[in-house]
Amino acid sequence: MKNFLIPATALMLCVSAASAWAAPGTVLRNDKLYSQPSATSKVTGSAVKGASVNILAKQGGWLRVTSGKSTGWIRLLSVRAGAGGAGGVGVGDVVGAATTRSDPSRVVAVAGLRGLNEEDLKKAKFNPDELARLDAMSVSPAQARSFAGQSGLAAVKVPALPAPQPAQSSSPWENN
Amino acid sequence: MNIKPMVLALSLLAFSGAAAGVDFGKLLEERINQELNKDKKTQPAPAPAPAPAATQNAAATPPQEKQKIDARQLGFALFGDYSLEEENRIGKQIAGDLLGAVPLVRDDKLQNYVNLVGNWVALQSGRKDVTWRFGVLDTEDINAFAAPGGYIFVTKGLYRRLGNEAELAGVLGHEIAHVSQKHHLKLLKQSSLIGALGQAAGSKVKDSDQAVQNLIGNGAEIMARGLDKNAEFEADRIGIVYAARAGYDPWGLPGVLQDMAALPAKDSRTSLLYKTHPHPADRLAALGEAVDGRLDAVSGKDLTKRFYRIR
Repeated sequence: MKNFLIPATALMLCVSAASAWAAPGTVLRNDKLYSQPSATSKVTGSAVKGASVNILAKQGGWLRVTSGKSTGWIRLLSVRAGAGGAGGVGVGDVVGAATTRSDPSRVVAVAGLRGLNEEDLKKAKFNPDELARLDAMSVSPAQARSFAGQSGLAAVKVPALPAPQPAQSSSPWENN
Repeated sequence: MNIKPMVLALSLLAFSGAAAGVDFGKLLEERINQELNKDKKTQPAPAPAPAPAATQNAAATPPQEKQKIDARQLGFALFGDYSLEEENRIGKQIAGDLLGAVPLVRDDKLQNYVNLVGNWVALQSGRKDVTWRFGVLDTEDINAFAAPGGYIFVTKGLYRRLGNEAELAGVLGHEIAHVSQKHHLKLLKQSSLIGALGQAAGSKVKDSDQAVQNLIGNGAEIMARGLDKNAEFEADRIGIVYAARAGYDPWGLPGVLQDMAALPAKDSRTSLLYKTHPHPADRLAALGEAVDGRLDAVSGKDLTKRFYRIR
């Protein structure tokens, strides 16, 4: 028995190490699962809003997830990381504490830290010295262009995204 | 968000048409008081919640003591836009106040890097009339701020969580969108109309720094009040497009939102962020509706190697 358990545990460790990014997620909108991170690839399944998934990998605008029995690529914006449910803060966010993206370089000790609060901001007094420091750091458009060019960044034409339709259609124009 | 003020503006317009030759100021006063009192009574069910700032301000106004209303001031608040000079003065005051609460990180390389990335993204916004300034604030709080006139701040706490330049570009793109869409100026206009009625009315802005401070409230509290959630959703939509136009991978901002969505809700470093922004899960969902497959053909750089890592 003992002899059997050790290789089994080792195997499990290997499996979890292979899927390094594995983390729980929640589906935000009904969407398809694809065989590749591309909407032109084969559809392998679907995920419904509110369903729990396991996030296995990320590539560009896509996440590889397991949802029930199917595994496939789903649009990044159709899933939220964390098990908090589809609608904002939920009970599951307590669970989220343990599932924060597990890159040790990003982990910052929470204990003893105090965030900015409203009182700090209300009491704040104008600080001309810091403002001068900020001004002194500003750069020109020409410097920014040259900086962009150094890494091969070039301006791309991308059309604006449409504003969403209002949920309740009280307008007479929306009935057609 | 804009429905209520628009209704107000429209009804005022209607009144002004009918009121030629009548006591214009008195009519306005009655109409405004009516509008303010309506707030306190019942909200018609389908109406969207009024902007929090407006509500707070209305509540903070001393209980309707026979306030004299200057029709000219109201006219400015309703129909005028802040001039570029006024915008710059308002932004400078807010930025200086915010820096009074939290100083800049003492790391010139970091500040220079963020200014270079930020200016490059801001070049895609089409707003060329402001001087863009970017700063990293020395706090572990996870947040970012924008003020009129092109002042953009990101906290060290948020910066630490970023993994590449595209994520930084996405965060800055969101804040740049607040400036290009003049979200805070619209909020100020709204609150100076509904709230202060005279005290902080727009026409006093030109007088002195104190008048600008009166307009924005105590210190940098405007940064703690936040914007309407639709302004945040809009800034997300516009911000990722700015980043994509700058040649970055458009999934930077969504990646940061994913990271924040997985943070525990009770983390004190995000309490101000969540007080002033919709939850990241709601922002991801709203972005998902707007983006769908529209960015499928866009591929950009994430520039992980060049990303400046904070010490």
